[in-house]
Parts: sequence; structure tokens; C-alpha cells
Amino acid sequence: MSLFLSRPRRQWAACLLALTAALAVPAVQAQTLKIGAPLALTGGLADEGKKQQVAYDMWLKRVNAAGGITVGGKKVKVELITYDYQTNEQRASQIAEKLITQDKVDVLTAPFGSGHTKVVAGVAERYGVPVVASVASSESVFNQGYKFLFGTLAPNGGLTDALVKVVTKQMPTVKKIALLGREDVFPKSMAASMADAAKRAGIEIVYNELYPVSTMDFSSPLSKMRSVKPDWIFMSGYTKDLILARKQMADLGVTAPVITMITGPAYREFAEALGPLAENVTSATWWSPAVSFKSDDVFGSTQAFVDDFRARGEKGEPDYVHASAAAALIAVQKAAEIAGSLDKTKLRDALAALELKTFYGPIDFTGNGMNAARELPIIQVQGGRAVVLAPEAIRQSTLRAVK
Amino acid sequence: MDVALLVQVVLNGLMLGALYACIAVGFSLVWGVLNIINMLHGSLIVLAGYLTCSLWTEAHIHPFASLIPVGLVIGVGAAVLQFVLINRVVQQPVLTTLTLTFGLDMILYNLMNSVFDATPRRVTLDLGRVTLGEVVLPWDRIAAMLVALALTALLYGILRGSRLGRAIVAVRMDREAASLMGIRVPRIYALTFGLGAFMAGVCGALLSIVYPITTNATGQLLGKAFIVCVVGGLGTVPGALVGGLALGVTESLGSHWFGPQAAALLGFALMLALLVVRPTGLLGRKGYE
Repeated sequence: MSLFLSRPRRQWAACLLALTAALAVPAVQAQTLKIGAPLALTGGLADEGKKQQVAYDMWLKRVNAAGGITVGGKKVKVELITYDYQTNEQRASQIAEKLITQDKVDVLTAPFGSGHTKVVAGVAERYGVPVVASVASSESVFNQGYKFLFGTLAPNGGLTDALVKVVTKQMPTVKKIALLGREDVFPKSMAASMADAAKRAGIEIVYNELYPVSTMDFSSPLSKMRSVKPDWIFMSGYTKDLILARKQMADLGVTAPVITMITGPAYREFAEALGPLAENVTSATWWSPAVSFKSDDVFGSTQAFVDDFRARGEKGEPDYVHASAAAALIAVQKAAEIAGSLDKTKLRDALAALELKTFYGPIDFTGNGMNAARELPIIQVQGGRAVVLAPEAIRQSTLRAVK
Repeated sequence: MDVALLVQVVLNGLMLGALYACIAVGFSLVWGVLNIINMLHGSLIVLAGYLTCSLWTEAHIHPFASLIPVGLVIGVGAAVLQFVLINRVVQQPVLTTLTLTFGLDMILYNLMNSVFDATPRRVTLDLGRVTLGEVVLPWDRIAAMLVALALTALLYGILRGSRLGRAIVAVRMDREAASLMGIRVPRIYALTFGLGAFMAGVCGALLSIVYPITTNATGQLLGKAFIVCVVGGLGTVPGALVGGLALGVTESLGSHWFGPQAAALLGFALMLALLVVRPTGLLGRKGYE
């Protein structure tokens, strides 16, 4: 028996040692704010993942230039730990878990899109780690009762309401709308939200269908759409689908004075791949480089953010993905500064109470964790680039009919 | 029921079907003759699309002019790959070759992601359309149909009429007997694989006008090729054509009557039904199922 006793005792001693070591470590680690970022750097969402990475890096450079962030009167360094989850849902969840349990991050950011955000948020919630999502806008992600999830995008309803306002005001002849949405978390929710907004505005819905993810052809739904002669064609999907659908609209002679494609015109590649066919296509978006906010964050103003982006030698202009991703980290930074601590629950509470003016726009998380809706930009491709139609304060042009 | 609309929907289906046939014909050859399920097929189509797009944006070479050269580049590349790598496991059970091509596909896919990035791009050309009353037919789809027909005819001609074709068929029927007749089997394998890839290349070049080219599409293209082969039947060249058209019309009518959500479902239902009723596919022969 004594032979067996000696071993557990040794283990106890080892455990005690480990425990004291573990207790001693946080005192040292408190000097660093660790942010974990699962990113899709390869695979289908690689482009979007890289945009987030660029924005995170832009924020980090500014923070490092300022010598870190101030928490409880002390300068604290920031460490960003990123892993590529290869656009693989299961991997996203594994990496979130690894970031929490092995890298011991204080806070997480979510990957691109509502679907993958949901996955990471689920893991973070289990461990009580705050997670800030920069590219998730579907209510179905935020209505899970998660206490630790926050998102910098406004809900989809904010986009469609703003859109309807612009169209009904600037083109009152629009009476019939045709809707086509991708059977996927965000596009589906956008289509539903648009149907709702149209109904409220008294616009008749003459076509309303969803298409499956693997669709390679839109000629059938478009032919049907042509026969119901809508004044407004609204489609929500991924850029690849939107390009194909716009091309096939031209092929089949399907047109309407207003063609909205969510969120095609927000991306440079949409206009590039379509050329003249992109002209006068509208969309709603969460942010545009044309907005101009003065802010008390590391950037100071929208213009400074855009300048930083150009100075890096990135292609084109930053889009809402860049801006929202940087804004997510600004929220984290402000929460840590206000909380005066890196304690996860205190960070969470500070995030929930946050009210900020950032270069990206105001941030004020509502009860479910989403950023409160504000005046969202409505854009239209004119002369090969996206211009802002609304809100009035930053308007660059007026709504033009598709020829 | 609006007759013009129905005619349009059926024609849409045929046009789409031609595109499917175009995607599947090379895949069908490699599967039917080499008994390799070539997981690379979708990526090869996308690679050809990228090459065509780059030629168009950088040097303003019309996709029709780059159709054959791009096909040849892809074809020769794939033949070398087959000769050097895949030939080492070609006699193993189908799962082994499948795993190898799957691995190669992941390499190619991620290489393309880092070189071209996943941003969809397209050759911004408008070839116009033919209007017959209320029915509209886009020229690029008609071109896809012609190319699919031409590829099928070419393949048929090669397999029937040329020494190479007879050798390919002989190897498929009995590898050892063919070897005893003096056919250099590894070379035939490489050439067949290259021929299949050539067809993927031509299809990809054509697709770059019709369809946005992105690495995200590789899986979809492969999936369609797979269904077309099962529907049309392996081991016969016109099988891919018939399978493609059958799938295209089914999806188009299904989408029209039951909504776009039902289109993919009906495509798979067609495949399942055929597997139960006629496992060889519409035109397949026994021994190839």
C-alpha cells in the first residue's frame, strides 16, 4: 500500500507546484492583452479573411505606435494571435477552443460571416470569453441568448429600411418588387427583411424565391421574373452569384428601373467583373470610405483610416469589412481601458455598456449584442465606382435608373 | 400557361445542359477509361478560366483565341502529372487514386487561392443574344453548346477512328492483353488523362465568359460533372452530353415549377432514380457502372 501512496503524494506536490506557478503567471501576463483571431486565410473565404487581417494589423500598428493601451493606469502591450481555420466550420470551432484553452486569450474576434461567427461565439460563450464579431449581421446569430457576443454591424433590418427610404423617395414610381435570395444565413435573412420592409412601404411583392447554395444558373428564376415585370429587382447572395445573375439578366433581357444586389457594389471586384453591367446597381452597406467621422480612437478620423489603408499599398479602397474589423478591435481596446482590467467578465460588462464614436461610426451595443442601427449608407455603382446616395449628410449623387 | 415562357425555360435547360456536358465530358473520359475519379477536374477548369481571364486582361487575347492553347497547356501539364505521379498508383483500387487526386486538388486549389485569390473574376465580354419572338438565347451559351458538341464529336472520333483511341479503348478493356499487344500502358494512361484535362481546359476557357471564375466554384463543378456522369452513363462518349442535357432540363423545369430551391434537389433525385432503375446511366453499357 505504501508503494501506492508515495506516487499520489508526489503528484500532489507536482500539482501544488503547478498551481502556484499558474497563480503566479497572471501577474506577469496582465501586462499583455491577448486577442485571439480565427481567420479564413485559405479556402473559400480567404479574401474576406485577409481583409480582416489587414484591418487588425492597421489597428495594431497604431496601438503599438502609441506604446500599447492604458489599463488601470498602466501601459499594456497587445498581442494578436491569429490562426487560419481554412474556411472550415469545424476547424473554426477547434481553433476558438485552442485560443481560449492553450493561448489563454482575454478576448476573441469572430471570423467572416454570420455562419462562422455563430460557431465561434458558441465556443466562447461556453468558456465565458468575450467575442466581438465584425462581419455578422443576422439576428439569428445574436438571438441565442449569448452574454459574451457583440457585433459591430447593425442588424439587416437597418439596411433594408434605409434602402426602401431612398427608393420610395427618389423613385416613387416603383410599385412592384421581385426578390431572390441565397439559401444561406445572411442572404436569406436579408431577403426576408427586405420583403418585410417592402410590405410596410406598400410595395407589392410579385416574386419571392430562394436559390440553393450550389446554384450555377439563374435562367429559370430570371425568366419567371421577366414575366411578372417588376419595377425593382432585389437579390441577396455572394458576389459570385450576383455577377452571374446580373450577366444572365442582361442575356435574358430581364431588367427593372431599380436593381439592388446585396452587397455586390460594396466590393470593388463586383464592378470589375461586370464592367458596364454593374452600372446603376444599388446596394445598402454598413460603411463606405465616403463617410467622414471624427473620432477619439487610435485613427482619429475616417480619413486617417483610409489614408493608412492606402499607405500600406493595398488595392483600391477599404470596404465595410476592413472598417468593421478595425472597429471591433477599437471596441475591445476601449472596453479594456474603461474596465481598467483584463478580467473577462469585467471586459464583457464594459463592452455591454460601451458608447463610442469611432472612425467607422457610432458603436453602441444593444441588448442582444448587436450595434444599434444608425443611418446606413446606400450606394450605387456610377461610372464604375460606388457612390453614396444616402444618408443626406454624405450624399454624393442621386438614384439613377438602370438602363 | 404561357407557351413562350415554357419554351424559354426548356431552352434555358438545354443551354445549361450543354454547359454541364462541357464540364463533364473530360471527367467522364478519365473515369470511364482509366477508372480514376479525377478530383482535380473542377480545379483544372477553374485554372483554365483564370489563365483565360489573365490573357484577356493582360494581353487582350480573346477567349476564343485562347481556347485551344489554354486547353493544351492544361492538357500537357496534366499528362506530365499523370505520368510522373498518378501512374505510380494507377493500378491500385479506385480509392487510392481518388485520395491522390484529392490531395493534388487541395494543393492546386490553395495555390490558386494564393496566386489569383478567391475574388470572382470574369472576362467582361458581351457576345450578344439571339431573339426569337419572346425567346432569348445568349450567344455565349450557344457557343458553349457548340463547344460541348465539338468536344464530344472529337472525343468520339479519336476513340473510334485513331490508333491512339483504339489503344485507349483496348487498355480500358484489358490492360494486360493490351500490354501484350505492344501498347505502352503508362503512356496511354498519361495521354488519356491529358486528353481529359485538355477538355477541362477548353471548357474553363469558355466558362470564363459565361461564369464568374473563382476557386469557390471547383467543388460545384466537380459535383455537377459527377452527377452528369452517373446520369449519362460511363464508358460512352455521348453519355456526358445526354447526361448534361437531361440534368440541365430537369433543373430548369424543376426550378420553374417548384422554385429554384427544388432545382438541385431534383438533379440529385434524377441521379438516385437512375441508380435504382438503370445503374449504367442513360447510355451506359454493362461493365462500366
